[in-house]
Order: sequence, then structure tokens, then C-alpha cells
Amino acid sequence: MPQITIDGQRIETSAGKTIIEAALDNGINIPHFCWHPGLSVSGNCRMCLVNTGFPRKAADGSFERDENGNSVIGWGPKLAIACATPVAEGMVIDTKGERTEHAQNAIMEFLLINHPLDCPICDEAGQCKLQEYGFLHSKGQSRYNEQKNQKDKRVELGPNVMFDGERCISCSRCIRFADEVAEQPVLTFVQRGDHVTIETFPGTSFDSPYSMNVIDICPVGALTSIDFRFTSRVWEMSFTDSICPGCSRGCNIKVGVRNNEILRLEPRTNMHVNQYWMCDDARLTQYKFVNENRISSPMIRSGNTLAPTTWETATARAAELLKNYKPSEIMVIGSAHGTNEDNYLLAKFAHSTLKTHNVDFFRHLDNHFADTFLRTNDRAPNSHGIVEVGVKHEPSSGVSMDTLVERIKQHAIKAMYVMGDDIAANSDFASALTGIECLIVHASNHNATTALAHVVLASTTYAELEGTFTNMNKRVQYVQPAVATQENERIAGLQMSRWDKFGASNDRWARGERRNCRQNWQIIQNIANLFGADWNYSDSESVFKDIANHIGAFSGMSYNLLQEFQGLTLGKADSPEPKGVVYQSHTLKPN
Amino acid sequence: MSSIIDLILGFLSEHIDALILLAKIGLIVNGLLMAAAYLVYFERKISAWAHNRIGPNRVGPLGLFQSFADVFKLYLKEDIIPTLADKKFHFIAPIISIGVAMAVYAVIPFGDSFMVGNKEIFLSVAPGINIGLLFVLSMSSVGVYGITLAGWSSNNKYSLLGGLRSAAQMISYELSMGLSLIGVLMLAGSLDLTTIVHAQSGGKWNIFLQPLAFIIFLVASFAETNRTPFDLPEAEPELVGGYHTEYSGMKFGLFFLAEYANMVTASAMMVLLFLGGWEMPGLYEALGLPAGSPLIAAVQFGVFVAKLVPILFFFIWVRWSLPRFRYDQLMNLGWKVMLPLALANIVITGIVMTILKHYGIM
Amino acid sequence: MNVTKNTEKDRLNFWEKLYLPEIARGLGLTLKQMFKPPMTRQYPEERWEPTGSYRGRPVLVLEEDGERCVACSLCSRVCPALAIEVQAAETTKEKERYPVKFEINMLRCIYCGFCEEVCPEEAIVMSKDYELVFTNQEDAILGKDKLLIPIAQLQDRLEFLRRYK
Repeated sequence: MPQITIDGQRIETSAGKTIIEAALDNGINIPHFCWHPGLSVSGNCRMCLVNTGFPRKAADGSFERDENGNSVIGWGPKLAIACATPVAEGMVIDTKGERTEHAQNAIMEFLLINHPLDCPICDEAGQCKLQEYGFLHSKGQSRYNEQKNQKDKRVELGPNVMFDGERCISCSRCIRFADEVAEQPVLTFVQRGDHVTIETFPGTSFDSPYSMNVIDICPVGALTSIDFRFTSRVWEMSFTDSICPGCSRGCNIKVGVRNNEILRLEPRTNMHVNQYWMCDDARLTQYKFVNENRISSPMIRSGNTLAPTTWETATARAAELLKNYKPSEIMVIGSAHGTNEDNYLLAKFAHSTLKTHNVDFFRHLDNHFADTFLRTNDRAPNSHGIVEVGVKHEPSSGVSMDTLVERIKQHAIKAMYVMGDDIAANSDFASALTGIECLIVHASNHNATTALAHVVLASTTYAELEGTFTNMNKRVQYVQPAVATQENERIAGLQMSRWDKFGASNDRWARGERRNCRQNWQIIQNIANLFGADWNYSDSESVFKDIANHIGAFSGMSYNLLQEFQGLTLGKADSPEPKGVVYQSHTLKPN
Repeated sequence: MSSIIDLILGFLSEHIDALILLAKIGLIVNGLLMAAAYLVYFERKISAWAHNRIGPNRVGPLGLFQSFADVFKLYLKEDIIPTLADKKFHFIAPIISIGVAMAVYAVIPFGDSFMVGNKEIFLSVAPGINIGLLFVLSMSSVGVYGITLAGWSSNNKYSLLGGLRSAAQMISYELSMGLSLIGVLMLAGSLDLTTIVHAQSGGKWNIFLQPLAFIIFLVASFAETNRTPFDLPEAEPELVGGYHTEYSGMKFGLFFLAEYANMVTASAMMVLLFLGGWEMPGLYEALGLPAGSPLIAAVQFGVFVAKLVPILFFFIWVRWSLPRFRYDQLMNLGWKVMLPLALANIVITGIVMTILKHYGIM
Repeated sequence: MNVTKNTEKDRLNFWEKLYLPEIARGLGLTLKQMFKPPMTRQYPEERWEPTGSYRGRPVLVLEEDGERCVACSLCSRVCPALAIEVQAAETTKEKERYPVKFEINMLRCIYCGFCEEVCPEEAIVMSKDYELVFTNQEDAILGKDKLLIPIAQLQDRLEFLRRYK
């Protein structure tokens, strides 16, 4: 275990680590562009140059001391790059001294020679490493009076990634990502010297399902998202930690919101789930349904149309309809898109209030989606969790999804309570559902099931709720609201940008729709109470406390612990995985 | 047909005195309101001149209809009565103010009587009242009720302070005002205003005989009319609007009019008591008109107004020149300076009169 | 140090203590002023033409080939009153980016000129326009149609910025 000294701080680290890793483990950030913990070391940006040395020894083997009794350091003849220099016993590293600073200044000046400095039109501005180091380590002026190099500014490397050659500082992060992580080695440097630029090999396109991660790891704005391009400045959005609902991997994400609309999703580092990455599909699809085609208030059917109504009317109508049927005639369908909390209360509602045994849920399996990296074949985020909290088929007495169509046709099932899922998207169910007398649906978006429903209860999407998802590896992860509804508007903890904080009703930029939707468990509680259940859960956390108290696998978990450890595995709440240091390629300044 | 006309004519001749009286009341009330309105206009104009501004110039030629526009606006404005106000008194206070200001004019003569046919017509609503001066003084004392009630009934601390200040100020200065007039009375030997004016005929104006009394009366008039530098009851910087803070619309307008009507009253009293009223030595003789002709009366009225206007100008001029007194300064001036001076004036007048009478000069 | 030396009693001489001559002097001063010509400007008829240094309504510079603005939103960020809203979009022009929506809420604007100061393109400048009257809140939100002013009309301000910014 080598002992090293960084900026006067004595650090014990493990052998084989590089200086930059050892420093990062101890919260010391050495400026860098090309180094990324998820990629191999290339050492070509030279930004992480640090002054290294060793205590000088006298002829007799003892350490030399100056007049103050401090050991005399024999500094190296040249600076070393922190990303490729392994630590050694007794090594002394200076990341802030005059020599280091001079080197950093020189590198910054060098990198900025051909950089166009078009920050005003660059999407990276505000989260740009070059910009940030420009403030921290640059003199702010250039001695370069000559013409800057002109390169291609709009090259589509793939269907989702746009490349701007002038902004590129040739750090090769994207090339290494394509080679090592995406395993689609199509990117390479071409030309030499200051004409160097990045291209795809002829006849290829960088269309890997993970291609958009290069946008995040690009330290400058050379790689931008074609989907997001120029939609918003970084500082105008609020970023809320969340979990991707696209598949059962449960990738940790950040949700970028402006004017109550999700504009983009970014991966969030979680070494135990998705490391630093997420798939393009999620980035491109998992936010649009939050913004579009929403059910913005509860509705009840009158004749052929669904009419918006109040929550009181809708829940009363739902309870009134359900009371007409015998327990055995009611089928309750949970949702793998719902949270543990939602499904827990749904199971409780079915078993103890409706007293039916007909509980099951619909699996969203898609084998074409799965791959060997992050994507899984289960397109719902919480299939494992809802089984744990009680939404599962009872083989002895209950009707399952497999027998449901048949039972409906036999008129054994006359009423259905569907939470969240669009089961009518499946054509078998769609035709069967037309024969149902009473169909009560929780839904966030208009779909085939809501078109058939008698009562539609507007529910939240993953971006508007607080709760937990359990991923394929039984890791319970915490989700919090990023988008405001009429209910959670301005609740404590909702991330807000400057525009959210100070917007008034007469500002056009603050008029994003607040929908009258509720979390599923709230709706269920309201209906159950009309049956005399007398539940009084005040928030998602109180439901989760109930889960943690009653279901063994969850015992010991709490929202605080889930946030602290970025998720806990079922049944192992007392032995969480180590937190480690979370590396973020860029840090966003608070608004 | 003719019988109806006869009937009307008979009625008219039977009640001719009452009709003349009504006409005079109508003239005086309307004239006074007009005077107040134009006084506001001139106040604004003069203040503008003093500030190197132009002043109202948009409504009508030279802005002459500005006051009408203002009054019209006041009529259209909402009349707000505060929830916690004493509604009865809140309603009645402005009526007292304007009523009292108007009532004073009953006894103020604007000239000698003249003859139409064999009918003697006086330039005064209530001629020949031998306690005219006393009536004026008492009425101006009643005026304080309007302001005090307004301040108290509004149930607002600023209004209340304004009302209290007004009461204290008026009582303080009424004393010196009344006492300053004793000298005038001693000289005229009557409380009848016409008699007082006649006593000053031939240039024996009281301003020359009683200069100290005039100054005391002048200063006290400023205080009585709540004009700067004695406008503490409505001191805007400290009391918002003083007693009329909680008044809006025409009720506020009535206070406003009353203030200007009082200013005219005070000026008219100064003209009558100190500047010889409508007397102008040599003027009437030079015109050579017979005594008691309507033309003489008209000239007399003109002379009266000619004396009135400079005093009104002086009122306005002072307002835009001098700052407001502090409350203690106001009280010191009233009780420690004005009152002793007024008393001294009586003594000096008495002594001088006795001496002059002893030597038969008077 | 004798503080009692500076009382009103000590400062004033007899005539000043008597007030009356001083009052007369004051009255004389105001009377003198009454005969001086007024300094009033008859506004709707006589208008004031501000100089280049005047900070009136912020406007966008319109050049022959379109607006200078690249929708960087720095004005929006720096605006202390949050008066500016910008929505960028992509163009095929050389500058890549342009404001598809640029709105200034004149009810929020405080005419501080920070937007002009921060603008990297000198695309938003303070104009001489000081006549801003609106009859409802929606009218006060000026869009690109009202904000874009041909560069020829803004020469005074651009000259001022060149010289003093």
C-alpha cells in the first residue's frame, strides 16, 4: 500500500493506481480532458500534467531536511501526466504549484489556438470542460494572431450524433468509447498535426445503440445530439436524479426539465448498474410520452365519449361500479411500469378490500431489444418488485393473464381494474375487453385501453412520482418527481431552475402544463377508503415504510438509504455495496 | 290666461323680499363656488410660475376649465367609506365644513345698498345684522367641528391626528384673532360690518390705524384656514392627508372647496376690517354718480374684489414660499407671541384713544 | 467643545430671530421666480431626442441578411428581472443557430442594459425608444416582429458602444 503526498495531503492508496485515480479517490480533482475512468488511458490531452518528485535522500540513507526540518523534495526534471503515471511509495505530487499551473496555462492556450470559441451557439456551453478550465487554468488571452484552422462543422457521425471538427480538441474519448464500450470501432483520427480530425471509416456509420454516450463524454461541444441540438441552454434546465423506465436494467439517469417539459435524459453514474452509460433508445423515447398525449384529468364515460371530471366524481364512480360485482367477477391487473408502492397498495386493495384472488400483471417482453451490455428483454422497470409486493397470480384460485381472455368470454370476469398498463395493445386482450362490463383504468397517456375504459384515472409517469423501482438484479432504486403536476407543484425537493423559481403566471416561459394527475397509490387509497378501508398514507414514503415493515425482502430500507447508496438489493439492506467515488464527466453548476 | 299671469305677478309682488333673498343666496353660493374653483386654478398656476413651470394649460383656453374637469372627476369617483368608520359623522363632517364656510357669507356686505324703484337692495344676504363680526367669528369656530369630526369618524390614526391638530390649532389662534379685532371694534364702536366699513371712510383704513392687529389677524387667518405655513392638520409627509385621508370623491371635494371658501372669507374679512371694504377715497366723488344708484353699487363691488384679489394672491404666494411650522413652533407662536401682542394692542389702542379723546382730536 | 454654542438662539441674529425679514426675503425669491420663463417641455408636441448613451427599449439588430442574434440566451441568463425568453433553432446559414422565438417582457424589463453588455454578437442593443405604453399584459411581451430594428436606425448606439463599452 504505497503512501503518497498530494498537495501536502498524505494519502494511502493501492498499488497500480494512477495518480489521477488516487487523487480522485480522495476528492482531489486533477484537470483532465482525455482521461475517463470507464475508458483506457491514452494520455494525449496533456492537461493532467502534475509536478512529481520524491524526498531526497542523503548519502547515509536518511532523508535530507531543510532548515525547517521538512524533507527536501527532488522534483522530476519534467512534469508527468497524472492519468498514466502509476503511484509509487513516497511519491510527492503537486497539482497546484507554479510549475503545474504554468503547464496547465500553456496547454489551455495550445488547445484554444484552433478552438472556434463559439460558445454562444454551442450546446455544451455551461457544462463544458474546456470552458470551465478556461476560467480556472487559463490566462484568458491568446498570443495566436494567425488564421484559425477551418474544419467541417456539421458532420453526422451517425443517426444521432453530430460532429463539429473545429471544436474538437482531439482527446480521443469518443474513439476509445466506440472501440471499447460500444464495441463498434468505426471512429478514427485522420490527418496529422493541427489538421487532425475525426471521421468514420468509409461506408460505416456510428450507429451503435450506445452511440449517444459520446455526447456526454465529449469534454467540449464537438459531439452534439441531433435530437436535442439547440433545444435549450444547459442552465435553463433543472436536472433531477431518476431511473430510466425503459427496461428492467434500471439505468440511473438525470432528467433535464424546462418549463415543465422533459427536454433530455442523461446517464448518471452508478457503478453497480449502468456505470456511466445508457442506451440511445431510452434517450430518444423515454421522455416524449411524459410531454405528449397525456391524460390531464380523470375522466368517466358517458355514452361513447370520455368526459373530464373531478377526482371525487371519478373515484366515487369507480367504487360504485366495483360494488356491483362479486369479488370473483373482478380481475385486478397490476403494472410492471408502476412503482413498488403503487403495486403494494393495489395488491392490498385487491386482497383485503375487494377480496378477490384474481390478481396478475402483464409482462412486456421483447427479445429483440435485449443485448449483452445494458439492454434487457423485459421492457418494464419493475417486474421483479411488483411480484415481491404481492401482485402475482395465485395458482390455487385466481385468474391469471393466461386464462383471462377465456374467463372473460365465459362471463366469469365481468369487471377489470387495470393499473397503468395498456393491455389492449395486445390484440387478444383488445377484443376480449370489449365484452367487459366495467373497465377501470389508471393511465398516464391515451391508449387503446383507455379508449375502452369506463373510468379513466389520470396517473403520473415516472417523471412525476416519488417511489421505488426494483430492477432485474433486485436492486431497489429511488425515483423522485422531476416534472410538476397540479399536486406536486413546488413540493420540497423538486429540482427547480432559476426560471422555475421566479416564473409568474404572466410569464410565457412558465406556462408549461400542470396536469391533474395523481400517483397510482393515491388513487387506490381514495377508492379503497370509499369501501371503508380507512387508509391514511400521507406520501409515498409512508407507503414504503409500510412495505419495509411488512415485506421481508424490503426490511431495513428507507428512502434516505436508497438515495445514499444509489439503491439497495432486496434482502440485503444491511449490507449495501460500497458507495465509492462517483465520477461525473462534467458537473452542472447550480442555477 | 291673463288671470294666471295676474296670479303669478301677484304672488311675485307679495313675496318680492323673499325672492330677492333667494336670488342673492343663489348668486352668493354659486359665485363662491366659482371663486373657489378658480382659486384652485390660480393656486396651481401660481405654484407653477414659482417653479418655472407652466401649470394647467390643457383643458380649455389657458387651462381655464381645469377646475371644472377636476370637480367633474370628483363627482365620478367612487365614494369610499371605511368599514370601521362612524358612518353618520363621516357623512356629516364635510357638510358641516362646507355649510359653515357658506353660512359666513350671509353677513358679509359687498357694498352699500342701492335703490331699484323704491326698493332698497343690499349687497348682502342678511343686511343690518348688528353682530355680523361676531357671527363670522363664531361660524369659523364651528368650522373646526367639520374637520375634527372628519378626523375622528374616519377611524384612522392619521385622520385622528389631523383632526386633533386642527382643533388645537384653531382654538389657539382664534383667541389672538378675536383679540386682534377688539382694537378695530373700539375704533368703529360697532359689530356691524357695514358700520365698520363706513368708519374707515376717507382713507382712515384700519391697516394704518391698527397695523399690529392687521399682522396678527393675517397670521391667525393663515392658521384658521389651515394654509401653509400652518397646514399641520393635513401635513402630507407625516399624516398622509390628515383629516381627509379617508375621504374620496365629492366628499373630499367638499373639504377642498370649504378650504378655499374659508380663504375667501378670511380675505374678505381683512378687506372689510382693515382695508376699508369698498371705500376708496375720492373715487365715488370723481365718478359723480348719485348715491344709491346700482352703478355705484357695482363700482363698490369692483373695488371690494380689487382689494380681495391681492390678499388671495398673498395667501397662495406664501404657500409656495414658506415651509411648514413644527408643531411646537406653531403653539409657541400662537400662545407666547401672538396672544401677548394682541393683548398689548388692545391696551395701546385704549390708551391712545383715551389720550386722543382727552385732547378732543377724536 | 461646547455644544450649546450652536443652538438656534446663538446662530441667529435679532432680525433673523424675528423671522419677518427672512419671510419677506423668501417671498421675494419666489416672486422673482414667477417672472422667469418656464422650463417645461410640452411633451406630446415637443419630443426629446435622446443621445446614443440613452438606455431605452432593448431591441435586436437586423442586418441585411437577417438578425445578428444567435440565440445564445446569455441575455436571458444575465437579465436580473428575467424579462427575456429565447428559443433557439437550427438554420442552414453559417451561424447555425437563430432565435425562433425572442420575447422581451417589457413589464419585467428594468432597462439595466446587462443584455446589451453580455451579448457576444452585439445583437441586442438599447434603443432610444422610451414611449412604451401597453393596455394589457400580453401586448407588453414584445416578439421578434417588434424587436428587430434595421441596423441603420441604431447607428448612434452602436457608435456609443464602440467608443465606450
